[in-house]
Amino acid sequence: MMRKSRNGMSLLLAIAYTFGVSGSADSAQPEAQVRQADVSTILFFVVFAVLTLLISFWTARRATSSSEYLTAGSSISSGQNGLAIAGDYMSAGAFLGLSGAIYASGLDGMFLAASYLASWPIVLFLVAEPLRRLGKYSFADVLTHKLRERPVRILAGSSTLVIVSFYLVAQMVGAGELISLLFGIGYAPAIIMVGMLMIVFSTLGGMRAATWVQIIKAVLMIGGSCIIAVLVLVRFGFSMSDLFKTAVSNHPIGDRILDIRSFAQDGVATLSIGVGVLFGTAGLPHILMRFFTVSDERAARLSVFYATCLICLFFVMLFFIGYGSIALLRGDATYASASGALFGGNNLAPIHLARAVGGSILAGFISAVAFATILAVVSGLLIAGASSAANDLVVGLSGRQLTERTRLQISRISSVALGVLGILLGLACEGQNVAYLLALATAIAASANFPLLILAIYWDGLTTRGAVIGGTFGLISSVVLTAMGPTIWSKVLGLGPAIFPYDSPALFTLPLTLLVCWLVSITKAEPEGDWRLTEPSVARYVE
Amino acid sequence: MHRTDEVHPLRVAANRPDTLRVRLMIAMILAYLAMMAFVIYSARHPAPATIASITFSPAMIALASCMAFSVILTGLFVFMRHGD
Repeated sequence: MMRKSRNGMSLLLAIAYTFGVSGSADSAQPEAQVRQADVSTILFFVVFAVLTLLISFWTARRATSSSEYLTAGSSISSGQNGLAIAGDYMSAGAFLGLSGAIYASGLDGMFLAASYLASWPIVLFLVAEPLRRLGKYSFADVLTHKLRERPVRILAGSSTLVIVSFYLVAQMVGAGELISLLFGIGYAPAIIMVGMLMIVFSTLGGMRAATWVQIIKAVLMIGGSCIIAVLVLVRFGFSMSDLFKTAVSNHPIGDRILDIRSFAQDGVATLSIGVGVLFGTAGLPHILMRFFTVSDERAARLSVFYATCLICLFFVMLFFIGYGSIALLRGDATYASASGALFGGNNLAPIHLARAVGGSILAGFISAVAFATILAVVSGLLIAGASSAANDLVVGLSGRQLTERTRLQISRISSVALGVLGILLGLACEGQNVAYLLALATAIAASANFPLLILAIYWDGLTTRGAVIGGTFGLISSVVLTAMGPTIWSKVLGLGPAIFPYDSPALFTLPLTLLVCWLVSITKAEPEGDWRLTEPSVARYVE
Repeated sequence: MHRTDEVHPLRVAANRPDTLRVRLMIAMILAYLAMMAFVIYSARHPAPATIASITFSPAMIALASCMAFSVILTGLFVFMRHGD
């Protein structure tokens, strides 16, 4: 059973590794051949880098208050926010990783896509509107309207920073390896370049700049994906049957690429992955931050709808790109070795495919969009981390409310500090498989943040003691069980057979966290008259 | 910085998820579980190669249905709450 579980999780992590888009894992290849940047790639890259810097300078003039810096003054429209949310999901991980996973083993890659999409109705029905109504800077605002402020903010700030740090390291390692491959430069210069751009961009421009870059990137990403998909279908006369026949004949596992195999081997492992993805999205801080950037609940609702449609369209395009890669790249010595492994790694499937169907200009464009994707996602992470550091940790630890000016200063300093930390950890983790950090982050989001948020919104009986003990239990149990799972315990640490048979513990830790919160809450009532209202918006709601 | 010693005796009452919200959420979770159960079943009981045609496989249709259902439910909720 454990072996079956590993099969599924290996694929999950292969997909997740997507964020750490390394070619080293499966590149059978003349690296020098990959390490040559086209003029078009460099040109598009320079255009995007200049464009993002211009946006950050443009928005910096407006980012003079913490609400403008952290939430764009809640003035983003629903359509813009929908595109930005979609942009958050159209990460390099999704684009390169899911396509690469389909290239490697067929339909398995699409299982996660369907799971990610199914998580958005859950976000809409449960958290989007209450978050917009009760929160201002972080999801802890929603908790503190009913619970004691200091312990809850410390807990929420800690889990947010842990999640953001894990995501950041994975993104930085992936960014270093991807940029290194695409532009033919060393890993360290690539990390430093991305890191510096990220720090300047997020520190100056804040959430408005991150939102606009996400919007531009989302449009370019969807446009680029549609162009590749259409060009693939043109090659096959718009006949899906011909596309599948060619793909099946090219792939060593034949018609098995048309079915889900790895994920379906172990039902419990698959269910645990599904629970983690389905509910984890509603606990990811950089996703939740997006609901503070719109003006009201209606805009929050609409933005989720727009995002869901765009993400669905994007995943459908990835389906064509994945199978198109199998049909057109496998067996072509220009792009793949005799074993079928793509030069530079399977995660470069969409870039190779873009070159195959659209030439070097389309490949250069797609490469630059992948770079812009990384920049946009890490900037959003920095802002989510900075917001939590300023509004949760500093307030929670000091017991003092911040002035507007101090909040802005702490947010910017936190942003720089997190950026520098990301660069250092990225340099330290060169060559490491850090994909498990993403699985860990999702598990923590599903096990610690999501239960607290749901109980705080929908259950009157939640007490501060219940939230703190339950949240701490969720945080620690998800970290410990993930660490004892097959990937970290056996593969990364090499400590022998795993103690816990599943890599994603969400199926167990999420209900257990809910149970602990409930049990602790019902055993001791909250002392009356001990709730602090911290934000005027919350006070208005109460009145 | 100033101290946050302002204490309010008010406590915000919990939201009560309305019927529509609960029904749609249960529908989404059930649809997702059904998709998962179907793909697991179909992987363990594959159609014989001789009768399997090379078009959209049942697993593809299950995944596409789940994805479409996500979009439809989201749209339905937003449409029904449009007047709020």
